[in-house]
This record gives sequence, structure tokens and C-alpha cells, in this order.
Amino acid sequence: MRRQNSLWLIGLLLVLFLAGLLTGPAGLSWAEQGAALVGQGDELARTILWRLRLPRLCMAALSGAALGLSGLLMQTYFRNALAGPSVLGVSSGATLGVALVALGGVALGTAGESLGLAPQVLGALMGSGTVMVLLGLVTGRFRSRTALLIFGLMVGYLTGALVTVLQAEAEAGALQAFVHWGMGSFSHGGWLACALVLLALLPAVIWAAREASRLDMWTLGMLTARSMGVNDRRLTWSALGTSGALAGLVTAWCGPIAFLGLATPHLVRAAGVNGRHRRMLWPVLLTGANLALFADGVVRWMGIPLNAVLSLVGAPVVLMLIMRWGPFGKTHSQAQLR
Amino acid sequence: MRDAILDIQDLELRHPSEGVGTLNLKIKGGEGLVVLGRNGSGKSTLLKTMAGLVRPVKGRILLSGQDVGTMSPRDRARDLALVFSTPPHDTPLTVRDVLELALDAGGSAFDDDALGAAMERGRIASWADMPMGALSDGMAQRVMMVRAFVQARSWILMDEPTAFLDIVARREFMDDVGRWCEEGKSVVLATHDLEAVEQAGWAHRWLLVRPPAQGGSILMDRQFNAEEARGLLLSHA
Repeated sequence: MRRQNSLWLIGLLLVLFLAGLLTGPAGLSWAEQGAALVGQGDELARTILWRLRLPRLCMAALSGAALGLSGLLMQTYFRNALAGPSVLGVSSGATLGVALVALGGVALGTAGESLGLAPQVLGALMGSGTVMVLLGLVTGRFRSRTALLIFGLMVGYLTGALVTVLQAEAEAGALQAFVHWGMGSFSHGGWLACALVLLALLPAVIWAAREASRLDMWTLGMLTARSMGVNDRRLTWSALGTSGALAGLVTAWCGPIAFLGLATPHLVRAAGVNGRHRRMLWPVLLTGANLALFADGVVRWMGIPLNAVLSLVGAPVVLMLIMRWGPFGKTHSQAQLR
Repeated sequence: MRDAILDIQDLELRHPSEGVGTLNLKIKGGEGLVVLGRNGSGKSTLLKTMAGLVRPVKGRILLSGQDVGTMSPRDRARDLALVFSTPPHDTPLTVRDVLELALDAGGSAFDDDALGAAMERGRIASWADMPMGALSDGMAQRVMMVRAFVQARSWILMDEPTAFLDIVARREFMDDVGRWCEEGKSVVLATHDLEAVEQAGWAHRWLLVRPPAQGGSILMDRQFNAEEARGLLLSHA
């Protein structure tokens, strides 16, 4: 059953990927696209496929998988179905970083300069990196995980306030660029971004697969997990570091699209895949990738922002599933009715 | 593991603030020790300290010659398991998942037959595929006890594990503990359930934990007697 689920998800991934690759507003014929894919034919077609569509689709799939894993780790760590990649405040840090570059420049009198992508990404990486360092400094001091949730929330409020101040002072053009970044998009990445997210995702997946049993033990409570041999401090550092790094990297290029990470584990649980992390890992990665590719397809088709698509489609679906099966998914709910 | 010895040497606990005095105690493999004391007297802290989860203020605990404070968490988990008074409910794991994890924590390879046998013996086989969240407190606690039995080679420490059990389940549980001791496992049980312990008849040693101002902790090397234990507990009330 588990293998069947994964095969379905892989099949869907291929369909969504190919649909995204071979359709678009450029009106290229099948023959032109086929030739371009093998590096022949019209240069414009090659550019469209190799420099626009392929990196965008790869970025969408990798980001979806990364945010799905990040969300799963946070829901396990906090033992809270509402947790997602944004709870640590890493995305908020990235947003402040981008605001400082995009809007802070305005305040410093550089309003005339157009907003380049590189400084924006650098700002986001510095912002999320700063929050990660802060997290590292405070995690050991907190006696409960709820305190860490409150930390993430407070970071969000603080950065939100600073961003509001910057927005109030910003010039219209810069403000528009910043708001546009906040809407989320998989189109800003390029091959370098894909490579970096992949470089972070691969060790994260290997780590999650190796530590799957320890993550399971965590769900039995921290003290019981420790009594079962879990090195709580080490696992906490690894889980927070992995989740934060994945969320920070994706946010740097794609904007704050953390909803994907919250929704993906719920969709997987609602489909009846639940319990052990080794059972959930691949479905979460594949579902996250599929959800991102699907949302990106809608963005390209309808021209509305990515975050709007994800929330408009995702929120009702998650709500419907939770109302039907509860926060722990289908199998759990059925057993309770027995 | 009858050759396993838990050796408590000059131990002073971190909690409660008034202390429980200095503890010196040796528990052999196959023994059952009952720990008594009022709420907040330090029973839970003693068990957590014995399990290596809390550092003592002074002294050390040796498990077959090794200091539990310096053992790696994984090595410690193979020898010793701790059961808490409240079983977990908000876990997505099924009963079978929990026991598979117990095998893993105990360093044993997955063995479906052994798992099935442990579930049969613990009278939880019919719930094997149910999620923990769907079980009552008493059922979930029984699973956590079997978990400890499957995990630990020699020592099972339990902190008021019968708090949620009904009168029949308590008696069954105390009988199970007696059987575990006969099989060579050692059990340290912190409880307020005096009658059930006396009825089971396996407790030949018991420790009363109390602050020095009330006479300090005392170890009784004789058959557990509920009336005597009650008298001691009430003597400083």
C-alpha cells in the first residue's frame, strides 16, 4: 500500500512536471520543444525551456519537497498540528532581510536604483541566518517547546513591526517590488538556486531517514523518548537546524510560502499515511513537490500570485480534511470510531 | 539479567529542596523495590536520577559497574526503561509501532514473532493496530509497560504507573511485575497503591523517601506490609 501511494505520487509528479514543461504562453510546437530539449533547434525555444521553464519547475518541486519536510519536522518537534516552517520565525527573518535591502535602501536615499535579485536573496539569507543564530543561542535556555513557539511568534511580531516602519517610509517602486516578493514565486531561482536547495535537501532527507525512529520516539513525549535512548539535545539541534535551513533557503528565492509546509503533512495524513516517520517521509516529499508544481501551474495559467493560489486551494482542502478526519488523519479517526 | 546490580552510592537528589538525605542502596537482578513517599517527596526525581535523566547533587549510580550519568543514552536505554504516570495520547503511532520502537531502543533486531509474543503476554495483542490516541488511559499505560519490558534487558523503573488503572487492571499489573522479577528483570516501582503491592507479594524490599527533618529515608529489608507502610507515611503528617 505504501509503495502504491508513492508510485501514484511519482506518476503525478511526472505528469505535472511534463505539463509545466511543455505548455506555456510562448506557443511552441511539440517539434520545437523536442528539439530544444536535446539542445537543438531555435535558440529562443532553447532559452525558454532550459533557462525559464526547467529551472522554475525544478525549483517548484525541490521547494515543495523541502517545505513539506520542514513542516513535518516542526509538527513532530512541537507535537502541534498547527506548526509549520514559519513557526521558528526564520521566514520572518528572511522577510525583514529583504525589506532592509529593498526598502531600507529607499530610506538611505537609493530610491532610484532598481531592485536586483541578488541583493534581495542576500538580504533574505542574512535575515533567516540571523534568526537561526538567535535560535541556536536561545534554544538551550527554554525549558519548554511552547516557549520556543512563543519565541518564533515574537520574532514574527518584531520583524513585522520593523517591516511596517520600512514600508511606511518606502518609495512606491521599491514597495511594489517588496510586495511582489511577498506574493511568492518559483520563477526567480535559476539553476544556482536549484542546486543550493538540492544540496540542502539531500542531506536533510538522509538525516530524516536515519533518525526516523528517534523522531517517532519524540511523539511519545520528551521524557519517554529520552528513556528510549534519544539524545534530546542533539536531535533538537538537528531538527531545528534542518527545518530552519530548508525554510530559509526556499524563502530566499521564492518568498514566504510556508503554508505549503503546514498543509503537506496534513494532506499525507488525510490520505491515510500516518504514524512512523519512515512511512511518511517519501509521501511528504512527493506531495510537497506535487502541491508546489500544481500551484505553479495555476499561477502560470491564471496569472494570480503563488501564495494566493496555495491559500485559496490549500486552506479549504486542509480544513475539509481536518473536519472530516481530525488533525491526526484518516486511520486515526477510523480507529477511534471502532 | 540476574547478575546486573544497580548500586546507588552516597546519592543526594536535586529535588525536593529539603532533600531526602543520602541514599546508599544495592538492588540485585530479579529484585523488586517499592518506593513510597508523600507527594513531592522526591520519588519521581529518584527514578529519573536512577534512569540518568537528572543529574544528582552528589553521589553516583552504577549499573553493572558503569555510571549511568556517563553512559550514552542508547546504551542506557538497552539496560533500563522508565515508565511515567501519564501515558502518551497525542502520538500518531499505533500499539505495534510503539513496540517496534521499543525493540529498536533495546538494540534488538525486528522480530515479528517476539513482538507478537510480548503483546500476547501483555494482553494487548487485540489492540495491535490501534493508534495510541484511540486507547483509554489504562490501555495506553499497559502498552507503555509492555514497551518497557520489551526494551530493557534488566531494569524497569515505574513512576506511579497504576494511577489510571481500574482495580482489576491494578491487580493484573502487580502480578505481571512479580512475573517479570521471576524472569530476572528488576523493577523499581514508585506507588501509592499499598494494598495492591501487598497483595501481589513480590516486594521484599521497600524504600520510604522523606526529608531528613522527618527522619530521612529508610530502607526496609522485609516483606512489604501495607499497614506498616501507612503508619510510617502518616507518622509525620
